[in-house]
Amino acid sequence: MGAILVQHEQVACPTREGKMMNLGSDAQHRIEAYLTRLRRCLRVLSDEDAREIVGELRSHITDKALATGEATTTGVDTALATLGSPEELASEYLTDALLARAEVSRSPARIIVSLFQWASLSLAGFFVLLASITGYLLGILIIVPTILKPFHPQNAGLWVSRGSDGDLAVSLRLGLGGGAVPVDARDVLGWWFVPVGMVVGCGLVMLTTRFALWCARQYRSSRALPPG
Amino acid sequence: MKFGGSRDQEESDKWEIQLRKGCLELAILAALRGGKLYGLEILKRLESESDLIVSEGTVYPLLTRLKSLGLLRSEWVESDAGHPRKYYTLTAAGKERAAEMASIWERFSSSMSKLLAPHGKAK
Repeated sequence: MGAILVQHEQVACPTREGKMMNLGSDAQHRIEAYLTRLRRCLRVLSDEDAREIVGELRSHITDKALATGEATTTGVDTALATLGSPEELASEYLTDALLARAEVSRSPARIIVSLFQWASLSLAGFFVLLASITGYLLGILIIVPTILKPFHPQNAGLWVSRGSDGDLAVSLRLGLGGGAVPVDARDVLGWWFVPVGMVVGCGLVMLTTRFALWCARQYRSSRALPPG
Repeated sequence: MKFGGSRDQEESDKWEIQLRKGCLELAILAALRGGKLYGLEILKRLESESDLIVSEGTVYPLLTRLKSLGLLRSEWVESDAGHPRKYYTLTAAGKERAAEMASIWERFSSSMSKLLAPHGKAK
């Protein structure tokens, strides 16, 4: 796998050998190990984008290491430390890509796919993914019965009933056959359930998208400056 | 009391960070107005000329984003050091955006200076 990646890079940067004369092989190895990790985190981007990013960072790290006057592992380590871990760096590229993609399409499916990638790299991404899945699921759970209401008017909708113990029970029914509505249950919204449910459900989906993008933006700007 | 003091300090630190972050995009576009530069040169210019201490791990993704927005164009150029470097230039849209942001900045900063000046004298 590593060999394949290195081979790829050679296409992007045909004069890699020139740099090798300046940097020791240990230093080279460290750079490649870092870039391989980065590349793995960026696999969801297009091949060309990932190659550009990796090539640019290789050039940056080499320049930084050579500038310290130590073309050794120490110089490389310093350069790598100021860049942050490959996972952190990849998170920034991925949240950027998520925001850029969202400008083209706000489809929840695409957002969830992007969030999965982000979640695999950072805890922040994981929580945003969890919250977004919850938001979208709730939204869909409300939208589905509004669509089914015309077909199963006696079943789909928002029902209130008094249980055997006297407690008031509110239930949202999908209308997908299944359990019958209790005899004493009252259809709270009646046909109003269709427009109200549609607005609430779609609103929830839209809010979730906004929330996910807001989080990505917050994450992005929270990392604009070096810590401390 | 001491607690309140450090909280104030924290708040103004936060504000300063937000302010600097907000300027980063303009700073990068402005740095490129003089001609093409590669990532490390942009970073050095930001540090030496603008006192904007930025994280390296942020500038590169930002450059990629500005490029995908069509504000920058990039090309690989062979260097004396023996490896290629990725140079960025402003596109026509980038120049336009830089000019637009610069004029907003000038208007904003001069009106803020006006507002702050009497207060400064009184002190």
